[in-house]
Amino acid sequence: MARVEFINANLAIAEGVMAAGLRFFAGYPITPTSDLFEYLAVELPKRGGVVIQFEDEIASINAVIGASWGGAPAMTATSGPGFSLMLEGLSFAIMTETPLLLAYIMRADPSTGVPTKSTQADVFQARYGAHGNYEIPALVPWSAQEAYELGAKALWVAERLRVPTILLSDATLAHTFERVEFVPVRRAERKKPRVPPEEYRPYEPEDDLVPPMASFGEGYNVMVESLTHDERGYYAPTNEAHRRLIWRLVEKVRRNWRLIHDTKTYYMDDAEVAIYAYGSTARAAYAAVKELRREGLKVGLVRPTALWPFIDEDLKRAVGGARRVFVVENNIGLMYKEVARALRDKEVVSAPLIDLELPTPDQIIEVVKEWRR
Amino acid sequence: MEAVRRLRKHPLDGLLRPERLPHLWCPGCGLGIALGAILRAVKRRIEEGYLQREKTAFIGGIGCSARASLYVDFDSAHTVHGRAIPFATGLKAVRPDMKVIVIGGDGDIAGIGGNHLMHAARRNIDLLVIMMNNMVYAMTGGQLAPTTPTGLYTTTTPYGNPERPINVVKLVATMGANYVARAAVTHPPLIERYVYKALGKKGFAFIEVISTCPEVFGRHIGMRDAVDLLNALRERVVVKQRPHIDESYYEWEGGKFVLGEYVDKDDPSYLERIGVIKG
Amino acid sequence: MRKEVLIFGRGGQGILLMGHVIGVAAAKHAGLYVTSTESYSSEMRGGESRSDLIIADSEEELDYVKVRNATDVIAMYPPRLGLYEHLIGEGALVQFDTSFNIPKDTLRPSWVKVGAPYTRIAEEELGTPRVANMVALGHFVRLTNFLGLEAVEAAIEEVVKKRWIEINKKALRRGYDLGGVEESLLR
Repeated sequence: MARVEFINANLAIAEGVMAAGLRFFAGYPITPTSDLFEYLAVELPKRGGVVIQFEDEIASINAVIGASWGGAPAMTATSGPGFSLMLEGLSFAIMTETPLLLAYIMRADPSTGVPTKSTQADVFQARYGAHGNYEIPALVPWSAQEAYELGAKALWVAERLRVPTILLSDATLAHTFERVEFVPVRRAERKKPRVPPEEYRPYEPEDDLVPPMASFGEGYNVMVESLTHDERGYYAPTNEAHRRLIWRLVEKVRRNWRLIHDTKTYYMDDAEVAIYAYGSTARAAYAAVKELRREGLKVGLVRPTALWPFIDEDLKRAVGGARRVFVVENNIGLMYKEVARALRDKEVVSAPLIDLELPTPDQIIEVVKEWRR
Repeated sequence: MEAVRRLRKHPLDGLLRPERLPHLWCPGCGLGIALGAILRAVKRRIEEGYLQREKTAFIGGIGCSARASLYVDFDSAHTVHGRAIPFATGLKAVRPDMKVIVIGGDGDIAGIGGNHLMHAARRNIDLLVIMMNNMVYAMTGGQLAPTTPTGLYTTTTPYGNPERPINVVKLVATMGANYVARAAVTHPPLIERYVYKALGKKGFAFIEVISTCPEVFGRHIGMRDAVDLLNALRERVVVKQRPHIDESYYEWEGGKFVLGEYVDKDDPSYLERIGVIKG
Repeated sequence: MRKEVLIFGRGGQGILLMGHVIGVAAAKHAGLYVTSTESYSSEMRGGESRSDLIIADSEEELDYVKVRNATDVIAMYPPRLGLYEHLIGEGALVQFDTSFNIPKDTLRPSWVKVGAPYTRIAEEELGTPRVANMVALGHFVRLTNFLGLEAVEAAIEEVVKKRWIEINKKALRRGYDLGGVEESLLR
């Protein structure tokens, strides 16, 4: 059997990404993320990787981008304030199709908020925070075990699709210790060029819309271009080139959603009522569902393991025949907007339960029962 | 393109991407002089077998100077404004076998990117950073730079710059860089010599190249003519063998730009200290 | 099997270490699934200190990360029982450190109330009150009977600083020898 440890989700992420082949980490200390950083600082050099603490989050993400172009699976980790500083670099990574993993450990609310406490306030920040039109994946674990597995998967997705990928965890999970089994994971690998350097064009996609990626130092004279560029990487300020690039960057992620998504359902076979919940809040929702079932209510749980890209058809399949859907989240009701839009034919109810610890099963049970009357 | 193809052979053929030309630099700009000198030094190092072409990278941020990284036919990156040094640091950390060269302007490197410059020098990370200093934000149309001398006019200091210019040479030296030199486009062989030397250094190497921008910098101080501006700079330039760091501060009115090698030492580099390369 | 274990006391009593040792023992040495959270107030000593553990033999039985209906409770500082009483389920096994006053009014009839003077034993027999937590933990292992003593010893060896291992294991065994539920019922 694989090694088992009793660790929190942050350390589980660190183990998952190392198993997937992480070689570079750059970061800046921030609560509740620092133990992930500190753990990698001990462990990654032992496996031939490099960990550097930078002067700020801006430098951190740009160093990750540089390392990624050096051919190394690379990541950073931060929380809300740090993520705000990283947005410029994130946009750059999106435009240049740079694989990287950004572990985003959400904490409580605007500005400094409550650094040690949890909410799910930043699910839209993860989707829309940076400037420009884009679509990037955001995976969302609900346990330490899943943090291990999705950490590895997010790094794999980043490399496979040549896209910055977010692993969206939260302070609750960062402080939750669980049994984690270091199950085998896929190694993160990018598509390499199959043509000689003189024929290689760094932004020319294959059928899956993902361009093979030559790294620095391999003789391809690659061009990392932050301006709108053509397939060679040359500045191309024309409508035609711009549309072609932007739509491909977006469609690359949307069309390959099956490589990213794995929406889980619990007690949904005969469910008349569904609870849509994700991350740590889904743990409370799962407890609520079990309890409501014991009382004879036909309630199920729909739990996405990726919030973005938001795929309507995947959600519709998961919700199935349920007539009413409660969207339970530890924020002011953000994903509700997407769920309600996707499920226009159903009754979708927002249950925003802002709680510095975690919404409780009792709160959720109360919401569901309230609507039953 | 046709015009480019019809050109005769140039000594720097093969080091530039001719399909990216013409460049965006204005007539009379000093940046081309500097890039030519930089590439001659790189070429010599390649011919001597010290550098490998495919293991040499150019990283630029945003600005006129940073565009140099797009015109050279190497692995290259046009990053976001101010962030070329962090990008280069990440690259170098995972590719210690590569020579990583950052080219940027004064705004890019010492303004918005100043914090990264300071910490990269302190870290003594194995990079060569070449800062072209034209003392103005040129690409955006002539706004104040942190390097603009006191009293000079820019579009955002229409009553004259009330601030003092940052002394980047002294800053980088204070932070502990292994090599710090200042050159100017008035003396291209000096640029070439310093770049050649810096390419052989471990740790953080920094070269400031004082450049001329007649179109934007010159325009606002009444020196729109390229030759006038170049001459005005030449009058203010002094070359010294090993200038003292206290000689590095400059002013435009009545001041001097002291060129020379301010720092040349061999402290352990960052990559040596973390055991990625051997000392 | 599904247990909700609540341990509470004051800062400085080693509450979080108890939780961590149980977690490691269950996850790594007893083949069980565990979820654990901890909370403490910022003062190092004397403040609130609490460890929640959900332990089950299948992953499906784990859901909410905190205790809602504790099945097993270790009250290392019983005077604070009132703060946690609502989290304790009917029929729970509640284990008290009887070195302190027990608030009789808060006790529920359905609970199985057991205990021993862990702090006093640690002080008098082991020379330091700091290992009271391990005396209580040893007793917990005996009373609850779902973690082997070897599993907990292995966890101690892994978690505790080397020079404290022996005294902690000694305290653990002392607690274990306090006996089962029958011998430990409070009167």
